[in-house]
This record gives sequence, structure tokens and C-alpha cells, in this order.
Amino acid sequence: MGFQMQPYGIQSMLKEGHKHLSGLDEAVLKNIDACKQLSQITRTSLGPNGMNKMVINHLDKLFVTNDAATIVNELEVQHPAAKICVLAGKAQQEEIGDGANLTISFAGELLQNAEELIRMGLHPSEIIRGYSKGITKTIEILDELVEQGSDTMDVRNKNEVVSRMKSAVASKQFGQEDILCPLIADACIQVCPKNPTNFNVDNVRVAKLLGGGLHNCSIIRGMVLKNDAVGSIKKMEKAKIAVFAGGVDTSATETKGTVLIHNAEQLENYAKTEEAKVEELIKAVADSGAKVIVSGGAVGEMALHFCERYKLMVLKISSKFELRRFCRTTGAVALLKLSQPNPDELGYADSVSVQEVGGVRVTIVKNEEGGNSVSTVVLRGSTDSILDDLERAVDDGVNTYKAMCRDSRIVPGAAATEIELARRLKEFSFKETGLDQYAIAKFAESFEMVPKTLAENAGLNAIEIISSLYAEHAAGNTKVGIDLEEGICKDMSTMNIWDLYVTKYFALKYAADAACTVLRVDQIIMAKPAGGPKRDQPAGMDED
Amino acid sequence: MAMVGSSIEQQPQIILLKEGTDTSQGKAHVVSNINACTAVADAVRTTLGPRGMDKLIHDDKGNTTISNDGATIMKLLDIVHPAAKILVDIAKSQDSEVGDGTTTVMLLAGEFLKFEKIFIEDGVHPQNLIRSYRTACYLAIEKIKEIAVSIEGKSMEEKKSLLAKCAATTLSSKLIGGEKEFFASMVVDAVMAIGDDDRLNLIGIKKVPGGNMRDSFLVNGVAFKKTFSYAGFEQQPKKFLNPKILLLNIELELKSEKENAEIRLSDPMQYQSIVDAEWNIIYDKLDKCVKSGAKIVLSRLPIGDLGTQYFADRDVFCAGRVAEEDLRRVAAATGGTVQTSVNNFVDEVLGSCEVFEEKQVGNERFNIFSGCPSGQTATIVLRGGADQFIEEAERSLHDAIMIVRRALKNSTVVPGGGAIDMEISRFLRTHARSIAGKSQLFINSYAKALEIIPRQLCDNAGFDATDVLNKLRQKHALGTGANYGVDINTGGVADSYTNFVWEPAVVKINAINAATEAACLVLSVDETVKNPKSESAQGEAAASAMAGHGGAAFRGRGGRGMRR
Repeated sequence: MGFQMQPYGIQSMLKEGHKHLSGLDEAVLKNIDACKQLSQITRTSLGPNGMNKMVINHLDKLFVTNDAATIVNELEVQHPAAKICVLAGKAQQEEIGDGANLTISFAGELLQNAEELIRMGLHPSEIIRGYSKGITKTIEILDELVEQGSDTMDVRNKNEVVSRMKSAVASKQFGQEDILCPLIADACIQVCPKNPTNFNVDNVRVAKLLGGGLHNCSIIRGMVLKNDAVGSIKKMEKAKIAVFAGGVDTSATETKGTVLIHNAEQLENYAKTEEAKVEELIKAVADSGAKVIVSGGAVGEMALHFCERYKLMVLKISSKFELRRFCRTTGAVALLKLSQPNPDELGYADSVSVQEVGGVRVTIVKNEEGGNSVSTVVLRGSTDSILDDLERAVDDGVNTYKAMCRDSRIVPGAAATEIELARRLKEFSFKETGLDQYAIAKFAESFEMVPKTLAENAGLNAIEIISSLYAEHAAGNTKVGIDLEEGICKDMSTMNIWDLYVTKYFALKYAADAACTVLRVDQIIMAKPAGGPKRDQPAGMDED
Repeated sequence: MAMVGSSIEQQPQIILLKEGTDTSQGKAHVVSNINACTAVADAVRTTLGPRGMDKLIHDDKGNTTISNDGATIMKLLDIVHPAAKILVDIAKSQDSEVGDGTTTVMLLAGEFLKFEKIFIEDGVHPQNLIRSYRTACYLAIEKIKEIAVSIEGKSMEEKKSLLAKCAATTLSSKLIGGEKEFFASMVVDAVMAIGDDDRLNLIGIKKVPGGNMRDSFLVNGVAFKKTFSYAGFEQQPKKFLNPKILLLNIELELKSEKENAEIRLSDPMQYQSIVDAEWNIIYDKLDKCVKSGAKIVLSRLPIGDLGTQYFADRDVFCAGRVAEEDLRRVAAATGGTVQTSVNNFVDEVLGSCEVFEEKQVGNERFNIFSGCPSGQTATIVLRGGADQFIEEAERSLHDAIMIVRRALKNSTVVPGGGAIDMEISRFLRTHARSIAGKSQLFINSYAKALEIIPRQLCDNAGFDATDVLNKLRQKHALGTGANYGVDINTGGVADSYTNFVWEPAVVKINAINAATEAACLVLSVDETVKNPKSESAQGEAAASAMAGHGGAAFRGRGGRGMRR
């Protein structure tokens, strides 16, 4: 179809097959539309009453989740402008680990409102200016909304941690946050280092075991390995542990070699010497005081035989990351080669035992005292998708803990902050003289999206809720938000629902940035995809 | 993909997602998910209870399976619908956590969804339903815990008979229900034998076609089928009293010592010495085995002609190629350890048992080790007609074993036969009346859904379900008849507790929990996005190119496997 027409304008400069879109209608509004569509998908997942999405990715894996970061990750968004929103969400996920949905939905709302402004006749650059002013002012106001006295907190105080974590976890697993939060808080507090800012999220592990229910969840100081011990010794208490990264086996040469035997005597002794060598090595390990051997690779039959003989428990951990964590838990140094470990290279665990949980045999490595570097949240649930979703909730909780270790300031949750921001920003907009007044007003209006969505998702009347919220806030009750359970407006400080300041801060900032970036684009030029469909093939194979 | 570009040109629309992505959302979507799930639940509905029917499943490889175990059926059905898969998952979860009640859990989930569907169609927000159902689930579980009778602190004998009752309840709904007392006591003995260290793989189940169910027997130790043997085997003694047992993981055969060794000889005279050396090595090994004092030698690897004859000459019994699982069980039972080397045997690596004998069972010969000192293993030898029959019997026994283990661990039981379900149902109804608001309706519906268990029991038995249920409701409403359930023999109602229809509380707790979780999960999904598979990316791209504008072509075939 394009072939008959004579190429003109920019088309004539480009190779055939390029796409070129420009102008308000073709580029800006289309982009806005795409972002809007994306935010519509994620929006219904916002808040405690958000709905789940079932996403089946290209590898046929099923996700059932309301975690926006996961949804957009698996959606494989193609549209370039919508991708900007996705990236903003991902940035939020990486920076804070929570609030990705707020970022994407808010960016979508900002863009939707921008569309109205454009139709009114404003130029995108004016909108961008207004939005930039809006976000700067928002952050100023947000600073003022911070709850008094919340900037210092004891990150080891469970109650304080739980109150800050609750809203993040509740938005993923509503109705179950009362069970999950204390678990996550305990796990985090256990591994919190002396200097809380060094808290490493990797130190809180999650073990998902099918079967049972949420009330069977527990935390373990130490690790849960999802496999059985190798030998017949399944339990060891107060054990020193030797870790060998390279595997416990007779050493074989890498280079292909053949043993030359010259006479009968050599033949007879061949097997014996090998055996003696293995025994010597295992004996050396046993002599060092170790009671448990952990192998990062294969465990040879001969080696296992002698381990049993010397009453050593043998564990196999094939994942290098897992092995590293194991070393951290027990304080062991991983040795490359099977040899006698020095006393300071041995780790220690209070108990290492194999237990059966829900039909699966797991090895539980416990360290009640001292070695508090790794803790594990054991999740139980009836389906894989529930477990995966619980895991994401735990991840969010742990990330929130990390965030609060750095900055513990909090703001009222459940849309109280948003409404206050909207109200104050609107007031601010009236004082502006330029055209950006409109943009700032719209920016303020965008905040209404949060209470609106929360109310809609909960099956409440959004308009009623928002108006009564405004009324309360105008009356000076700045901490009033939505109580979703009863469907009325309440003071959030009494309900103890708080959001972390940093989460809000970054979510709003990223959203505003993303919106401005999308608005700034007025031309899209797409190169012709090279190579045709075959190009995807190798990548697809790799992922398998 | 190339398609994205070209469709923008043809038709200026916004392509947000990859071509071929299938999305559906909204209320209709929730309802369609529910429909798919109820369809799956319907498939297993008729298998519930003592009068439940079995399913014959014929798979693409031509294997036939007869089963009434929900989890087994689900595994074989190979369901692709993403929402219905959740039901399969909960059946699996029930199977791994409790072992039995897989049909119950699916039935409950299906019934919950069926009642929820009515509300969804009426415009209730799913989250409201979910919240109420979760509350109801919590209340139900608390109630079960309250009603449950503990068997803790009873004497061993009493406990045994209690456990046997639980096992019998499970077995009654299976193919071997006719012999439930016989098998129940066998299962309880087996589980008691393995003691506290309850590793399931220490109970072996061996299947021998032929004979009749009653010919099945329990070995307090290990039994396995006679392995492949060489000449000389028949000259070995077949019965020992208090023998020492040596367990090996080495090949006792004439063979090259190591693959990577090579012999180079310059002097032909040496040739004989090498041959002799090889013989020496094997004789040396055999000699060491005999010298260890063991009367029985078992190896995971083959024991060759030479070895068999050598042992026969010295009145030692040997068996090579013993399955690893069996060898492990022998090790656990006899207290020996498996040796990978013949050097320096110490006494403690040898196992022992009271009696070893080879016995003819059907047309198979079995090596049986009984009276083992550590007494941690048990083996059930199952007899029966057809292969499928024995296989189903094995699954049933597995369920019963799991039930007994769980009952032993958690040691509380509840009355079966739908009694507990009726009681929770009554409790929830009463509770619902104290709630103001929508939740009242939802909890009522939850209570009603629980009645499916007695209802289905009646339906499957051919009774008038409405009639029986009314009787049950009346009994339960009186407040004294909390233990009344369906009497499957007379078609009336009876006190399940005094009739010894018992099941472990954990089965019910897990079933209700899992079913509620699944129902809530299905309900909470309002959108499905199905990305095209990456493996067939190329093929699909070609197909979509042919179909012109590809998206529509896929919408038809994607995801919607189970439309009803």
C-alpha cells in the first residue's frame, strides 16, 4: 500500500519500512492513550481490595498476583510510551521495592488529565512546566505531612516495624497482614545488623512449601534447604560444619588421562590406593571436629561411604548462591578442595535436621543464637500461585523494612495523604499566574485517583467518599482517610495505618517524571525491525 | 515483531501488548473462570464417599487407570485452563499435606464458587465476598478445633483402635472398602512400626497379582521380590535365623577395575599374572565379604556368576541388583550401613534380623526380613486380581497410611460421614444471624456450600438427599446431635461418632482452608493476560501474517479450553 505513493517529507529521508508519527494527534495523544490503557490494567489492583490478575507469560507460567511490578514485567509491554511508565514502575520497585502500582497508576492519571489540557488547547510544554512545579510543591507539602516524631524509630521494636509495614503488606494480602506482618518483622529484626542502614534484603529468605495454610507459616533462624540429606544421617545437633565448594569426591584430572599398569601387583593395588586416599581425606575432615559436610557439587559414593563410617552428615547444596548464604548463616569458609579444614574455617549450627513438611523433605539449619545473619520465612499455602503471591507480599514487607531502616518517616495512609496533597496543591495553584495554573490544578486533581480507586475497588461509592474526605480535610483533620472495612472516613492515626514517606516520595516523583517524559515526545520514529521473525528464535530458546 | 509496525500503518490503533496476547477481563471473566472450575469439580463429584463411583482414565499412551482418588484423577486429566489449574493445585496440596480428602477439597471449592457466582452475577464486589469467606473459613476451623476429640494420652492399644477407625473411614470410600477392617489394622500396624521417625518411604508396598485381597500381608521388616539370580543361587540356603546382613554398593563380578586404566605388557609371560590378579581381586572381595561373618549379602549392583557360586559354596545367601529403595529400607530396618568398599568391615556396619526367608507369594518369590531390631520399617504385600485393581489398592493404602500418620501427629479426630460439615454449617448459620450487613448473606451461603458433603454422599448412594439433609439439619439444630451424619447403610441418619466413622481433624481443616483459599483466589482474578508462547513465536508470527490482522485469530483459540 505505501509503495504506490511517492514518499514525501521525512519519509523520503528514511529507509523503507520506517514508521514515523508526529504531531499532537498522532504522537502525543496516542502515547497518552497507551499509558492510560496500561494504568487501567494495573489500577484495579491498587490497594487492599485490589483484584488479582492472571498473567500467563510466554513460557506458560501462570502468575496470579496484584503486584504491579510483576504484572507489568510479565505483560511484555510493546508500546514505546507505555514502556516508559513500566520503567518508572520498575525503578520504584528497585529503589523501594513497593509502591510500583502507585507509580504506574498515578502516571497514567497524570497523562489522562494532560490529555484534557491538550484538548483545551494547552501546549505540552506548558503542561510539563506546570507538572514540574506541581511535583516540587508536592514534595514540599509531603515533607510537612510527615508524622511528628516518626523520624527516629527503633528498627528493632516489633510494634513500630509492624505499624509501618502493615499498609504495604495489606495492599498485597488484605486480611492476612495481621499474620504476615509480625512474621516478616521478626525475620527482619533477627537479621538486622548493628548499623541498620546496612540491612540486606537478601538475608531474609523465603521457603515456599506446598500444603497447609497461612496459619502454619513460621520463621526459622537459619536456613531451610529444599532437599534431603545425602547419607543416612539425618540429624545433627551442635555441629561444626565444613563446607566444600568443589564437591566431595575423589579428585579426577581434568585432562583426559589413562593410568598405565605394568604388572599384576599394580593392578591389585590400584583400587586400594584410591580408597585409602579418600578415607584419609574424610578422616582428616572428621578429625578437625566437623560433624556435617556440605558439598557444593557431587558427592562420590566412595566418599559418602567413609562419611557414614565417620558419622558425618552430608548435605548437598548445588546452587552457588545458596551455598554462599549457607556459609553466611553458619560462619563457615567454603573450601575449594576436599582437605582438612582449619578450625576457623569451620562453621557452626545449633541443629541441622531433616524434617518432612507437607510431603516434602527439607533440611532445616538452625542457629538460635549468635549467628543471626540469615533468617527464613516458611510460607505455607495450598497452591503454587498463592505461595508466589505470598512471597511477593513478604518481599514487599522486607523491602519496606529496608526503606524504613534508612528513613523511618511516615505519612498517614489510606489516601489521607493524597487528599491533603490534592487540597493544598489546589490552593497553591490559585496563586499561580501563568497558564501552568491549569496544569497544577490538574496535577492536584490526579491525586484523587488514589481514594477513588481505593473506594471503587472496595465496592464503595467513590464520589461520596471523596467529597466527605475533602470536607474532613478542609475542617483541618488532615489525617482522615478511608476505612475500607466499614466504608467510612476515619482518622488514620487512630487506625494505625501509615505509609512510608520514602515510598510516597519516590513513587510520586517517578510518576511525574514518567508523565513529563511521555508528554515531551512529539515524534516517534521506528526503525524497521531487522531480520524478520527469525530474530526472536535464539532468544526464546535461551529462556527455555 | 514485524506485525506491530505493519498494523500501526494499516489501522492506526494502539498496540500495547505483544501480538497474539490474549486478554479478557471484567465480571464475565470471573464468571467464566468459575464455570471452568465447577466443570472440573463436577468431574470428581461422583467419586465421593463409600458409594462413590470410580473413574476409568485412558491416557494417550494407552495406559488405563481406575481410581476414585481426586488427586490422581486430576493429575491424569491434564487440565490447561489457568483458573481450573488452581483446583488441581489444591488437590495436590491436600494430597501432599494430608494424603486424603482430595475429592472433598475440590468439591468444596467447586461448591463455594457456585454460590459465589450467584452473588457476582448480582453485582456484589468480589472483595466483599472474599473477606466474608475468609472469616467464615477462620470460624469453621476454630469450630473444628473445638469439636475435635483428642486421642492424646490414651494407651497404646486404645490409640491403635482409634487410628484403625480413622483408616477404616478413609478406606471405606475406596475400591478395597469391602476389606476395610482388615487393611485398616494392617495400615495402623505399619505406621506404628515405623515409629516417630515417620519417613513415608520406610513403608514399602509391594504388589503381587493373583490371589485375593485377604492374602495380603504385612511384614514387620522388609520384603522384596527375588532379584535376578545366576547359577548356583538355588544351592544357597533360603532361610536363616538371626543372620548378619551385609549391604553393599559394589559389583561382585569379574570386570575391569577402572575405565581409565590400561595395561601395557612388554613381556608375554606376564600375561597370566595379570589374569590371575584380576581373579585375585574378585576372590579377595568375596573372601572379605564372607569373612565379615555375614550370612546374607545384598548388593545394589550385580553379583555375578562367580560370586553367586562362591557364596553358595559357603552357605551364604546373596542377592544382587536390589532396588536402591529396598536396600535403604533393609539398612534402616536391620541397622546396617551400605558399604561402598569391601575393606575393613567393622561389626557395626552389619545388620541383623530375627528371621530371613525366601517365600513364595503367588508366582513370585519374595525375600523377607522380619523381626528387625530397629523395627523402623514395614512392608505391605498386596495381593489382588487385575493390575489396575492392585494399583488402585496401593493408592488407597497410601491415603490410609497418610491419614494414620497425620492422626498420630495431630491426634485429634472429628466425626465423619458429613457430620462435621453439617455441624459447621449450623454453627455458621447461627453466627451469620448475629452479623449486620451483606456479610450475613455470604456467610450463610458458605454454610450452605458446606452441606455439599452430606448431600453428595447421599446422591452417590442413591438416597434422597433433600430428605436426609432435612433430618440432619433437625438433629443438628437440636444441639445434642452434633455428631449425626449420613448413615450410608440404611439411608437414614446416625451418630457417626458411635458408629466409628472418624477422620483426623487435620484433613477437614486443611480441606476447608485450601478450598476457601482457592475459591478466593479464583474470585480475586478479574483479568487474564495470556502471552504467546515463546517457543512457537515463529510459527505464530507466520500464522498471524496469514490471518492478516492476527489478534482476532488468536482470541478464539487462546486460553479458553473449558468453555461450558
